[in-house]
Amino acid sequence: MHESIIMYKRYRFLWVALGIIAAAVLAYLLHDPQEPPNGGTGLGYTLGVAGTLLIVWLAWFGVRKRQYSSTQGTVQGWLSAHVYLGVALIVVVLLHAGFQYGMNVHTLALVLLILVVVSGVFGVYVYAKYPTRLSENRQGSGRSDLIDQIEDIDRRSRRIATGLPRGYGELIHSGINRTVAGGSAWAMITGRDNSQVVLPIGDDYTVVANPGQEAALDWLAEQQSRSMDAETASIMAELSALLRNKRKLLERLRQDIRLQAMIEIWLYVHVPLSAGLLAALAAHITTVFIYW
Amino acid sequence: MRYLIRFLSQGAAGSVEHYDKIVDDPTITIGRATDQVLHLKDRRARLQHARIEPRNGDVHISTRAIAGVTVNGRSQRDAKLQHRDVIEVGSNVLTVIEAPSGFDFAMTFELRDDAASDELASQFDSLRLSRTLWSKRRLSWALISIVLVCALLVPAAGLLHPGAADVLRDVPLLPDDGLWLAGPIHNKHAQSSTQCQHCHTEVFSRVKDVACLECHEANRHVGSSSAAALVLGIERCASCHLEHNEPPGLIKRHQGLCADCHASLPADVGLEPATDFLEDHPAFKVSLLQPMTRDDKTLDWTTVRAVLADAGIEDRSNLNFNHQVHLDREGIITPDGRRVIECDECHLPEPGGARMAPITMDEHCSLCHTLTFDPDAPDRTVPHGDPEGVVQVLIEYYSARLLGGGEDSGGRRIRRPGQTLSRTDRDKVAAEAKTTAFKIAGDIFERTACATCHEITRGGESEELPWQVLPVRLTPEFFPKANFSHTDHDTEVSTCVGCHAAESSETTGDILIPNLERCRDCHGSGVARRNDAGQTLSTCIMCHGFHFAEKGSY
Repeated sequence: MHESIIMYKRYRFLWVALGIIAAAVLAYLLHDPQEPPNGGTGLGYTLGVAGTLLIVWLAWFGVRKRQYSSTQGTVQGWLSAHVYLGVALIVVVLLHAGFQYGMNVHTLALVLLILVVVSGVFGVYVYAKYPTRLSENRQGSGRSDLIDQIEDIDRRSRRIATGLPRGYGELIHSGINRTVAGGSAWAMITGRDNSQVVLPIGDDYTVVANPGQEAALDWLAEQQSRSMDAETASIMAELSALLRNKRKLLERLRQDIRLQAMIEIWLYVHVPLSAGLLAALAAHITTVFIYW
Repeated sequence: MRYLIRFLSQGAAGSVEHYDKIVDDPTITIGRATDQVLHLKDRRARLQHARIEPRNGDVHISTRAIAGVTVNGRSQRDAKLQHRDVIEVGSNVLTVIEAPSGFDFAMTFELRDDAASDELASQFDSLRLSRTLWSKRRLSWALISIVLVCALLVPAAGLLHPGAADVLRDVPLLPDDGLWLAGPIHNKHAQSSTQCQHCHTEVFSRVKDVACLECHEANRHVGSSSAAALVLGIERCASCHLEHNEPPGLIKRHQGLCADCHASLPADVGLEPATDFLEDHPAFKVSLLQPMTRDDKTLDWTTVRAVLADAGIEDRSNLNFNHQVHLDREGIITPDGRRVIECDECHLPEPGGARMAPITMDEHCSLCHTLTFDPDAPDRTVPHGDPEGVVQVLIEYYSARLLGGGEDSGGRRIRRPGQTLSRTDRDKVAAEAKTTAFKIAGDIFERTACATCHEITRGGESEELPWQVLPVRLTPEFFPKANFSHTDHDTEVSTCVGCHAAESSETTGDILIPNLERCRDCHGSGVARRNDAGQTLSTCIMCHGFHFAEKGSY
């Protein structure tokens, strides 16, 4: 997929984009506006109109990709053009501005545009790299399979726990209930493990952090070492083995969540900034003519 | 409070299994968050969903969740709990039971059968960004609103009322129409006003000329109806004078503005083509002030234009001045001894630097060129610029001397003290004094003083004053049609003699004005790419003004 949008129809839109860039640069070099180059010269207005049309067309991609019945080109082709023309847009807009910047609404539109394009380029990179990593991590199984496996371990652990004293039950149940993956966007991106477990320490129950099921495993190991009874020891060993397996599955699940979030998160920048850009563009065009 | 919570679950082969949890807290918190005493794994529960706590001797359950809790099949916000009450939160079922001895309150907790699927889904219920609080749509609308409100709507409020605009500009952090500035205001304009409406009097309308003319004189400059304006398509002031640009400049300096017409002007205009200083500029012409004799034989001055490069032209000021002698690097003899004279002891720019200040005998020459006439009386001088006065001073001086007016220098005394001269003697003394005075005057005019610098003619009409000193005037400005500032050229790389070949000039006729080639050493084309590194970009407007009405058409 990622290669096909880049190489779509033998780089057709790369050539279109290079053509646009070349035309804009050539016009900029040849044009002699008799004043410092800016958006208000003949060429400035021309590039401004071209840039506006490009921005609106690029934003229209959000609509086109949802028009499943449309026959106006393929979405793949649209995406390929979206990527290349989006990059070409930066050149058109910089030349439109004549490389003049300031603390104003006009430069705001320029900055937003550059951020949108840069986030889009990051998106292309992510789409090129991350799906491979994602499937490598999943090792042939999907996310729901991972979860099913974890649930299965949980079920087996609970079953074992029923035959054990209360403290063990609390450990197993709370360990399952308080194991978390995902959660906030930050937790997804960082892959942090905020799991907890209730440990029976002495006569009391204490909630402790349980990253990587470490606290639960340690407690079990301690109980195991104290146990005189061979049967109990073997149950402990089984519980520990189950938890270690769960830990591996959880690591893979968190990595899966993290990669999936990385694949999606640039859109949380790209799409809102595009919307902000449209607003800034409207403000830019309006205010330029308010004080003409 | 000591609570007992009995967790019931389906064991193998349909048996019911349980384990107990004892809670020694005043409150049992119930919710989806991991810090809750009763931790529910049900999407339908809030993070902090409900709390069970004693109140007035009873035990109550209360919740702030919109869904509330279901107590005995009825949705409740707050309920007093009694024996056999059944509380439901999602698929979680709590049943109040008889508290065993040693406990204040007891209940069972179990999951309804339908919980299994919910539980599985809720184990990890937020695994994708779309399940978090962030939403692309929500963020988009937020950003659109922020941008439109801050960058457009709030500043636009200033358009409705000038007072509102002032408030917006004065209150820090409130966005005002300064955000709309397409570029900095030029210094000159910023000094008088930074209010947009001062020039932008009407919204959605271009700046009108009247806004400019409010401060600027109208008649000083090319009018929109002038020939040049029509040819150039100049419609309004802002056609050429553009604000808010970088680099800042209110004058269009582009030489295309001039070169388009000046490439070939109609023959009757009498101007050679000029399109670029480096590549296409006519030879420099200088304006020379020259003496002329009118029809009534009186002397006058006229200005002639001459091509600077022509070998034959000379400066005719009627002054004899030798720059070479004065600039001798060995120094020249002055009353203070031998010393080297610098250019700026005589030549100083006027304030503003446009022209040089005039040179006068009194200020610049008289220190060395004293007008003494009698070595025995070094303090006595004749006046400058007044030939009749010279003769008068000399006659008076020698008469006094012959009459013994205190002279003790060995002059012949012809009067004894107390003696009154006879009329004959007086005439004799007068005649003798006059003879001496004329003899000395002849020396002064023709040899010692005047003739050093001036052209003297003899044989004038008057017998009283047979010498005539030709009047002297120096050309005040050689390039009146160009703007040149000595102040701007006062740099380390440009010395006076670097441009003016004064050190080798022996006669006054030499015109020491640098020619086109010398200027081109530093000044290049008006088109950047034609210039070598270090050459100054020089468009027409750098030296020439644009069609100013009072200067006539160029």
